[in-house]
Amino acid sequence: MPVIQVKNKSVHIQELNKGARETVVLVHGMFSNLSVYYFNIAPVLAQSFHVLMYDMKSHGMSERCEYGYDLLSMTDDLRDLLDALHLKSVYLAGYSYGGLVAMKMAMRYPSRVKKLAVIEAPDPSDNETLSIIDIYSKEFLVDYINNYTDTTRMRMGKRQLDKNHRMYEYLFYETSIKEDMHNERFFFADDAIGNIAHDTLLIYGKSSNCLPSGRKLYHTVPRSKMTLIEGDHNLPIQQPLETANKLKDFFVGWQVKFKQINHKLWQALRLSYHH
Amino acid sequence: MDAITTQHKLSNEEIFTILKSFITEVIGEEFVEDMDISRESSFTRDLEMDSIEIVSFSEKVKSHFGENIDFTGWLSSMDLDQLINLKLDHIINYIETCQSSK
Repeated sequence: MPVIQVKNKSVHIQELNKGARETVVLVHGMFSNLSVYYFNIAPVLAQSFHVLMYDMKSHGMSERCEYGYDLLSMTDDLRDLLDALHLKSVYLAGYSYGGLVAMKMAMRYPSRVKKLAVIEAPDPSDNETLSIIDIYSKEFLVDYINNYTDTTRMRMGKRQLDKNHRMYEYLFYETSIKEDMHNERFFFADDAIGNIAHDTLLIYGKSSNCLPSGRKLYHTVPRSKMTLIEGDHNLPIQQPLETANKLKDFFVGWQVKFKQINHKLWQALRLSYHH
Repeated sequence: MDAITTQHKLSNEEIFTILKSFITEVIGEEFVEDMDISRESSFTRDLEMDSIEIVSFSEKVKSHFGENIDFTGWLSSMDLDQLINLKLDHIINYIETCQSSK
């Protein structure tokens, strides 16, 4: 299991296609882990890129941490991880709260990000997650999981329910996550969002309750384009291949497509010359 | 566990035993004691493994059976329903096929 030390903390990472020249980094959302990308999305991207996934602190198999769930700390973590792996500049994608981390990274360290993809990032000011944190209970978790089960067809048994409950209890009652997330509620009002100079792809579900947040970003981030996929907020689970292909096409970009067209033209010219 | 260094092809039963030990390492002996792990056990329904546990299990398979077995690639060819219904037997057969095609 690849667990590396980054600033004296254990971070669980997964990498695919390590030899590739360019790197895509995938940031998962709060209360999730890197498995949201591991099975379907990362392998598609790995056809063209070195892909790096990591578990955020206290998530998945990374070390628990009492503090630092605000976007400044989360982007410090990401910068430290890139430094540890000697990655100067990467294609960056984030899902849900990870989308906010990816945006903040582009704002704070623009030279470390080549292109930015934001999947289903919520506006923290009207984010249901904040109310979830306030009313959390085990009964709530059961309801939440039943809904998740309905929309993703994933089932959860007693051991998983207990495991999730322990994670939520730790995060909500023994860390600063509530306060840190609450303090990010004005993030969409940050003028710096309007200064993101990167090519930015916004991927949202057609029936997602985060869609209005996506539209706000589309009007604020200058070089953004928006693409909609059938599904709700659980898009990467519901439509992994379509999400992966949108990301891949965006990151590969027109430069490579131009080369491919050139190559085809060249082949056609050669063929016509030989005839 | 270290990667296999010999060319010895493992039997179906040997692969099953190794995979059972990986499952025990991933979900913990205290939970495995109450389970009857069989070839027909499905990862999500019977073993109640979540996706990060299946990631961990996949890593063990890759590191034990070597990079020649494209386990992640094989998993990625499955849709969600296939992943949910994935049984131990499917993986044993996949590893056996990879061994015999070498």
